[in-house]
Amino acid sequence: MTFPRNISLFNESKILLLLLVLILGISMCGQYSAFNGELCSPIGKHALRIMLGIILMCAIACTDLKFWNNFAYFFYVFTFIALVIVEIRGAIRLGAQRWIDLYIFSLQPSELMKLALVLSLARYYSLFSLRDIDKLSTHMVPLLATIAPAILVMRQPDLGTALILLGTGFCVIFLEGFPLRILKIASIILALLLPCSWFLLHDYQRNRILTFLDPDRDPLGMGYHILQSKIAIGSGGLWGKGFLNGTQSKLDFLPEKNTDFIFTTITEEFGFMGGICIIILLISIVFYFLWIGRLSKVLFTKIMCYGLAILLFLHTCINIAMVIGLMPIVGIPLPFISYGGTSMITFMSSCGLIVASCRYGRNFNRKI
Amino acid sequence: MRTHSLNKRFHLVCSFIVLLSVILVVGLYYLQIVYNQKYKLCSDRNRIRVTHLLPKRGRILTADGQVIAWNIHKYRLIMERCSKGDFTKNMQLLSGKISLSQDDILSLEQKYKSRARFMVIKDELSWQEYVNISMMFFKFNNISIENGYIRGYPAPLVYSHITGYVSQNNQLQLQTGKSGIESYCNEKLTGTLGSLQTEINVLGKTIRHLSREDPTDGEDLTLTIDSKLQEYVHGLMSEHKAGGCVVMNLKGEILAIVSIPSYDANMLAGKMTHAQWQSISQNSLYPLMNRVTSCAYPPGSIFKIVVAYAALCEGVIDANTTVFCGGGIKQDGHTFHCWNRGGHGKVNVRDALSYSCDCFFFEIAKKIGIDCIVKYAKLFGYGAVTGVELAGEVAGLLPDHSWKFLKYGTTWKPFETMIAGIGQGALLATLIQSAVMMARLYSENFDLSPTLLPVKTCRAEDKINTRVGSILKEALHQVCVKGTAANSCKVSYGIAGKTGSSQVRKLKKNMVGIDQTKIEWKYRDHAFFVGVAPYPKVDYVVAVFVEHGGGGARVAAPIARKIFDWLIVGVK
Repeated sequence: MTFPRNISLFNESKILLLLLVLILGISMCGQYSAFNGELCSPIGKHALRIMLGIILMCAIACTDLKFWNNFAYFFYVFTFIALVIVEIRGAIRLGAQRWIDLYIFSLQPSELMKLALVLSLARYYSLFSLRDIDKLSTHMVPLLATIAPAILVMRQPDLGTALILLGTGFCVIFLEGFPLRILKIASIILALLLPCSWFLLHDYQRNRILTFLDPDRDPLGMGYHILQSKIAIGSGGLWGKGFLNGTQSKLDFLPEKNTDFIFTTITEEFGFMGGICIIILLISIVFYFLWIGRLSKVLFTKIMCYGLAILLFLHTCINIAMVIGLMPIVGIPLPFISYGGTSMITFMSSCGLIVASCRYGRNFNRKI
Repeated sequence: MRTHSLNKRFHLVCSFIVLLSVILVVGLYYLQIVYNQKYKLCSDRNRIRVTHLLPKRGRILTADGQVIAWNIHKYRLIMERCSKGDFTKNMQLLSGKISLSQDDILSLEQKYKSRARFMVIKDELSWQEYVNISMMFFKFNNISIENGYIRGYPAPLVYSHITGYVSQNNQLQLQTGKSGIESYCNEKLTGTLGSLQTEINVLGKTIRHLSREDPTDGEDLTLTIDSKLQEYVHGLMSEHKAGGCVVMNLKGEILAIVSIPSYDANMLAGKMTHAQWQSISQNSLYPLMNRVTSCAYPPGSIFKIVVAYAALCEGVIDANTTVFCGGGIKQDGHTFHCWNRGGHGKVNVRDALSYSCDCFFFEIAKKIGIDCIVKYAKLFGYGAVTGVELAGEVAGLLPDHSWKFLKYGTTWKPFETMIAGIGQGALLATLIQSAVMMARLYSENFDLSPTLLPVKTCRAEDKINTRVGSILKEALHQVCVKGTAANSCKVSYGIAGKTGSSQVRKLKKNMVGIDQTKIEWKYRDHAFFVGVAPYPKVDYVVAVFVEHGGGGARVAAPIARKIFDWLIVGVK
């Protein structure tokens, strides 16, 4: 591992920094409003998390990507074992068990798995030559590496994260040249199998889907979240009700207003314009990630950038789609903005990796 | 080759990202711009609670300032929608502090489950309960004590048929008149509802007040009823089982209106037990029926006034035309008897009214025909509601050809005209219609109508025939001087009136002339008397009806006499 020689070469990352400042600013405002405009300790905690996130990002940005390349498989195996431990403990304790208490902080392995999966996929594909790419056997390992943790996560049960893992993994595999004909056959089989998956779902997950299809089915029970969220967003109008004036969130009609429904809280107060701003900002970051990937000459960096971009996009898309009622509620936070440490760490680390790619991508030697 | 196809895939993924983002924006656009109004409404419905502010119902007073319907202050215990835990905690705290029956508790739990915004735990708190709760008020959540009013009637038996009663809407706590003047003048008495808009949070807790519109209290109603007279008349009538009496002046203002038996309006306005309701609703005398306005009977001989007026106006007879009464006349193979089987001999219209000769009216009724009788009866106010401010008034019935045909599908027979001529048969009228008939005759004004509210200007466009009127007025005075009512109504100030006794069943041979007090109550004749005094400068009209009283002259006329004495001489 070598320490960076020229720190002033952060040309491309300046854009990312600007975008991050904007989105984190919105995040602070949104959280401040979601806590009813009071300067309470959770707000301080959120600020602290942002600070820690920035420090983490800088730290990762300063690391050598060779390290991440070497470390990828180990990271993946470590996280996978953690997931298995969670699964076993969950089986003993019954009910949802998503984290391991490490006495100092609680670790949510499913969250780490997102990064571990992207890194190990990037490493795996970067080692293949052009000729092998058309063979199905090349893609079997990545497919397995994607599906196995997804199943474990789904058993926690955490449908949202499982979907994210599958989506990210499949997208990367598709980008790296998964044979088209097999893809066609697989998608047909999948379409046929989809109805069967109904029986694999937990009762609460089925209820969520039914509620999504018909929110009025149980307006005070299961349908309550989505109904109140739609009312809050819809009542915002073009310019919103004004900062700190959102009635749905202030009067607690909106549940989970800090975490999964933070987008609702903000769009109620800032209206369609506020919503557009957030979407544009987050999608800009996604495209920034893709752009860095494009610029990168090194395969590992390239694939990692693509993977992280897809990860970020899926979070954004699923979260917003679910709060505006285009998708069932699956419990996915909005990147950078939702309250909660794990998601903040994941995405700030991704940014750190991206900045690191800017610095090293161009002269990263394929033969390490 | 690989880079090329991978490039294609990269672009595909990029366009996919753009496509999904656009879908998100479109979704957002639909929610926030297209359906903005709809969701704004939903959001307001979430956060704004509209509470109705109740106006105070107007009181009802008599002309001399006696209050006959008012509002009694009470405390209501109310619980707003709250969590299950709060509900059980509140109920636990309340048990022992206020008296609640097991049924009450069950129905409250039912109400709680129906997620009502608020519920009334107890409608009328006793003072002790009020103190108990106030002392530990801070321990409760979502509980409040509200000031409310219940309707009270200080002298229910005397005035219930005038005031009527109210019922309370449970959700709104607004009182609505159900009968009598409470119902007829409900809008005036109610006033207008106010409203209070408050912003609430998801738990139903009030955050702030948004707007307030004060209620307008209902107006007090001052009636034309004279409380002393009303009590006096009520006392007189109470000696009988059932009946009615109305006293009015020649402007149509009602001074007293009594219907016996009466009921306790307080009971109907408040919470009453099933047994209490049974005792009222299953009573064979129907105490809820106002016998002055809501019950129609055959008016009997009183109706002869109308027939006489019709015949005189139409020129069929004049004041001196005589008819021979031999105790009955034959028609369609039946003999129609005069009440006096011995006959009255030759009678003119004056004598016929004085002695209430049936044969005379059989004859002239036949001559003028049913259509003519109906036409004049309508002028005097029969066959239509009089418009007095008491809900539930009925119109009575004036039978004619078309009525008979529609009801029975047969043609009208001449003997039916004859029976109608003496106020019997299918003919039905309320007591107040008969009182109005007298008032119209003596005020010479067909536009007069009875009212419980002071008359400011009296409309008088349709005048009666003065010539005919004066003949009848004098004839009715003779009734009280030498005729059927002479025994009881021969007084120095002068009364003019007409007795009436209407049969309730067909007479059998052996019953002719039998003493009415000897037969079963429900088969006795109805007793009527309508009279005016003082004659000839008339001030008051009195109509008396005693159900199954026996005879008009014997039972009803003495009551009227006592009322006139009270009114004019001041004899108590």
